[in-house]
Amino acid sequence: MDLISRGRWWPVLCVGTAVTILAIYILLVASNWIYLGWHDTVYFFSKSRMWARFWLTVWTSTVSTFFSLFIGIPAGYALSRFKFPCRHFIASVIDLPIVVSPAVVGAFLFGITTRFPFDWISEYYGIYIGRNVYGVLLVQFTVTAAFCARLMKASFDIIPARFESVSRSLGASPMRTFFKVVLPMAKNGIIASMIVVWARAAAEWEGLMLFVGATEGKTDIMPFAIYLDWNGGMMGWVTSMSIVCILMAVSAISAMRMIGGRSNVW
Amino acid sequence: MSGKKSSRKTFNAVFYSFAGFLFLYSAYLFLSNIDQLFVTKAAIETREITAVWGEDREVLNQFAGGFWKDPYFWKSLNLTVITTLITTLIAATLGIPTAYALSRYRIPGMSFIETLFSSLIVMPGSVIGICLIVMFNYGPLWKLQNALGFKFAHSIFPGMVIASLVLSFALGLSAWKAAFDSVNPRFEQVARSLGSSRWRAFWTVTFPLAKSGIVAGIILAWTRAMAEFSAVLFFCGTFHELPPSRFSNFTKFMQMDQADWVSVAVWAQVEFGNIEYGFALAFVLVLIGGLSVYVMHRIGAKGFVW
Repeated sequence: MDLISRGRWWPVLCVGTAVTILAIYILLVASNWIYLGWHDTVYFFSKSRMWARFWLTVWTSTVSTFFSLFIGIPAGYALSRFKFPCRHFIASVIDLPIVVSPAVVGAFLFGITTRFPFDWISEYYGIYIGRNVYGVLLVQFTVTAAFCARLMKASFDIIPARFESVSRSLGASPMRTFFKVVLPMAKNGIIASMIVVWARAAAEWEGLMLFVGATEGKTDIMPFAIYLDWNGGMMGWVTSMSIVCILMAVSAISAMRMIGGRSNVW
Repeated sequence: MSGKKSSRKTFNAVFYSFAGFLFLYSAYLFLSNIDQLFVTKAAIETREITAVWGEDREVLNQFAGGFWKDPYFWKSLNLTVITTLITTLIAATLGIPTAYALSRYRIPGMSFIETLFSSLIVMPGSVIGICLIVMFNYGPLWKLQNALGFKFAHSIFPGMVIASLVLSFALGLSAWKAAFDSVNPRFEQVARSLGSSRWRAFWTVTFPLAKSGIVAGIILAWTRAMAEFSAVLFFCGTFHELPPSRFSNFTKFMQMDQADWVSVAVWAQVEFGNIEYGFALAFVLVLIGGLSVYVMHRIGAKGFVW
């Protein structure tokens, strides 16, 4: 009676829902371990096929993170500070690769690589971007550049614009202000965002399905290798590789939380 | 003085050019493919070759570019929109109390919970799909399904809703938690001290204050559910080859049978050689995604990564 009349059912309901959903999610993430067991985990983790794929994932996502940071930090600053007409429209177009399903982005990349800049690059420089590791990098760059710009915008939004105007009023040039005032203040946020961007790049695989395809040992980054081995019916490889992916995601997020910057997507 | 002005101009130009590069790249990526919607000579030739080879591939579009004349196109859209609306409804009814509990009450292991939900957002979709398959198709849940007599995996109603719910709930939860975090708990304490019950204090004080954040979370959850690909592909697969007897009367009545989840259909149709079909569905997804993200920018929504 007390539960109903004084509205105490509401916190009980809230906490109950939260605990139930947490249990389901923990079961979801832990189901691979429960399925695989300790002995098989050790067996698959000692294979070189696993680690070749792991290092391929790590280096491709590191390179594409570097490129997206190069574009994303200035773009995020521009989106955060400058006021220009159609700001929301332009920001929405920049965000399109992250809100649209990545498989669709892969289909669009498949269409674009026969067109202007890409056919030119392959003709004059002999760099073919498609069914090789450059294609993997292009897919990862396309998705993470937008994501990076968004996270960087959030990191710069937290810093008050006052510091910049003070620095400018004391005679520093805009470039000097950016490098000596804004970047050091945003350092934590930028490093935290960098880790999230890296984890997102390492998680990207849907775009590869239509655009790149998989060559064993060349373009089979780990999330994609899960799909391939699943089609091949190798459940041991699939579950052990998804354990590695889960560990990569969780450790990236833990590292970001330890650094303690703030980053939000929207 | 003029030197200062010109340095300001160069500074702006440099930063604008990076943002402009991203804008132009994205716009070019999505707009330049519009010619894929039309059947070109090359596509017709490909089809003739396939006919000569006698490959047992289903060329769906016999209308030469008129993809909108085929029921599959509309049924796929119908299926996805109805399923994502149900998903968003479930995510909101479960997620808003959960977000409130995580935001207001002291729950032990808070940093662990936050790490779990943030890492879901950067986890590969294929891992989510495999986790769902392993969770539902082995062990006690599999026995439960056998006892109940129906399967979660490879079905429209529990299956697709579950697959799209996992990530859309996680993303919506982050936005709803941010919305409740931004409301000062003092207001609620004042309402409680004036004699209102806990539920009344939530419903009349905190909820209206957090309303814009809650709406943003709903849009975010819906957009994420529309963009779901891998979990649906792993957990449900494709449906258009299945015989009509596999579909329930309800799905037939709602015109959702023998259709695919839109982003899976994009992949499947492009792989089968029905390029203009795949790109037509892809452009629908781009329009929906662009519109919802524009709305989110307009209302200034915030969804935290953690």
